Amino acid sequence: MDAISVNNLRKTYDNKKYAVDDISFNVKSGEIYGLLGKNGAGKSTTIKILSTLIKKTSGNVKILGLDINNSMDIRKRIGVVQQDLSFDLTSVERNFKIYGLLWNVKKELLKSRMEELMEIFDLNKVRKNNIMDLSGGQKKRVQVAREFLHDMDLLFLDEPTVGMDPIVRRKLLDYIKMRAKNGLTVLFTTHIMEEADYLCDRIGIINSGKMIIEGNSGYLKENFGGYKTLKLDLNGDIDDLTKNELISMNVNLKNENNKLLITAKNIDNIIPEIIKTVEKHGYNIIKLNMDQSSLEDVFFEVVN
Amino acid sequence: MKLPDSLRLTIRNFKVNSDPGTIMFMLGLPTLYLLVLGFMYQSLIPAVTFNNINVSYTDFLMPGIMAMEVMTAGTVGGSMLWSDRRFFMFEQLLVGPFNRLSYLFGLILVSLIFSIIGNAIMLVIFYLFVGKLIFTTVGLIYSILTLFIGTIIFTSIYLIISIKTKKMQTYNTITIVLFFVVDFTSSAFYPITDKTPYGLRLISYANPLTYITNITRNTLVFSSLSGVLSEFLVLTIATVIVFGVALKLYDGVKPGM
Ligand SMILES: Nc1ncnc2c1ncn2[C@@H]1O[C@H](COP(=O)(O)OP(=O)(O)O)[C@@H](O)[C@H]1O
Ligand SMILES: [Mg+2]
Repeated sequence: MDAISVNNLRKTYDNKKYAVDDISFNVKSGEIYGLLGKNGAGKSTTIKILSTLIKKTSGNVKILGLDINNSMDIRKRIGVVQQDLSFDLTSVERNFKIYGLLWNVKKELLKSRMEELMEIFDLNKVRKNNIMDLSGGQKKRVQVAREFLHDMDLLFLDEPTVGMDPIVRRKLLDYIKMRAKNGLTVLFTTHIMEEADYLCDRIGIINSGKMIIEGNSGYLKENFGGYKTLKLDLNGDIDDLTKNELISMNVNLKNENNKLLITAKNIDNIIPEIIKTVEKHGYNIIKLNMDQSSLEDVFFEVVN
Repeated sequence: MKLPDSLRLTIRNFKVNSDPGTIMFMLGLPTLYLLVLGFMYQSLIPAVTFNNINVSYTDFLMPGIMAMEVMTAGTVGGSMLWSDRRFFMFEQLLVGPFNRLSYLFGLILVSLIFSIIGNAIMLVIFYLFVGKLIFTTVGLIYSILTLFIGTIIFTSIYLIISIKTKKMQTYNTITIVLFFVVDFTSSAFYPITDKTPYGLRLISYANPLTYITNITRNTLVFSSLSGVLSEFLVLTIATVIVFGVALKLYDGVKPGM
């Protein structure tokens, strides 16, 4: 059975523009699924609908086999780490205890889980501190750790690593992997390709509310990996003739801040040819550099 | 054993709100009013007379203090909603094992609990340092119902303010100003009589605290039921209306938007 099944999901906040525009995907039980996309792509909106916080505009959603309208039955079986920091205005430890109480976790179990999570998320030093006195990254750690206090079948994580240092980030990702091995299903969002790549069994890339492509990271890499962007600072805008000649080399062109961006797979091999073409048409290259853009940036360049 | 959702929320609300600041506001201030203000004014006001019964100023003041406790307790539920929205716990709880209704009950119940505890402690202080109240069965029933309804009306008022204000600054300013205005334009500290200027009398009778104070004062201090039923009815109707408005506004609060 699929833990999440989404068909033709749409959401509009203002009746003008779709924040989520006809998205369909499934997440198998025990799978870690990554939603990858830039700011404003529609990741949080998707998670808010799937976790019963807001209502969809149209489409079909089933969570753990239940129709999305059975919000109370769903809520009892899911965990959610929202993008916004959330906490009670009291100490870290008290936040944990209160959360355990809210989820009806037995005292002994709560205690042992709390100790374990304090350790994993490196919170022992600040456990007596008031949440308000913590840094953004520490608050995020509290919020994420807290969610693991209770039992659940499905966990939603909306950009949980924001503000975390690399060590804690890695610890969190490994912890999620471990929990998934033990049967937890995870829907994870990020705008960082490497993270999705490291963690997720499958990745769906969304842009402007639409699911552009889906697959495991091997598939995505094979088809969209190896792309790089060459940035050229020229002494003028190129004419159509030059443009067409470049496009015939199978590259993607874009103008950004008076710079010409040329994106292609294995671009290193055709750089001499690109330079020759540009100069042949009478343009001077003032500056040239290669952009180590991430896989998903490249992906968007290519798809758009 | 599993406690009902709204009770778990109530315990949570209680724990989050039992900080020194709230306790000070709930107990310190009323104690100061009762003992310091009460005894100080007593030298100016030897006795208060009503229905041919003379009582001391502190006795007279006690129901006003109880009504204040009710109002302060009402701020707890309102403030909880405010900070839950500000710090996104509202959103978090509503993807947890709770629905909107149990969340709302949690707010009302925590105000009621603060109201009960606050009044119980003030009664103990009153008995220790001041005097006695008169407990007739009818009077007691009226008083308990009044304190209950009073807590609901003030919780509703603070819920409305909390839903309508965006900035922390605004919320704090409104609640503090309201606290003093409501206190001092009510009958908590002085009787409202024909000698009270007309404008102030109007304001005073538009103030729920006046009704709460009058009903408890008449029954518990002067052992009288005169005018009690009509004031009780006014308070009840007002509470139903204000509670209805709060419900309506709460219904419009959409999490995650
Ligand atoms: N409450 C809201 N009201 C109106 N528009 C919104 C609201 N929340 C999000 N949006 C819009 O919906 C789109 C998707 O946003 P979001 O789901 O938050 O994206 P992401 O999480 O991928 O950054 C954006 O264009 C955003 O401006
Ligand atoms: Mg987001």
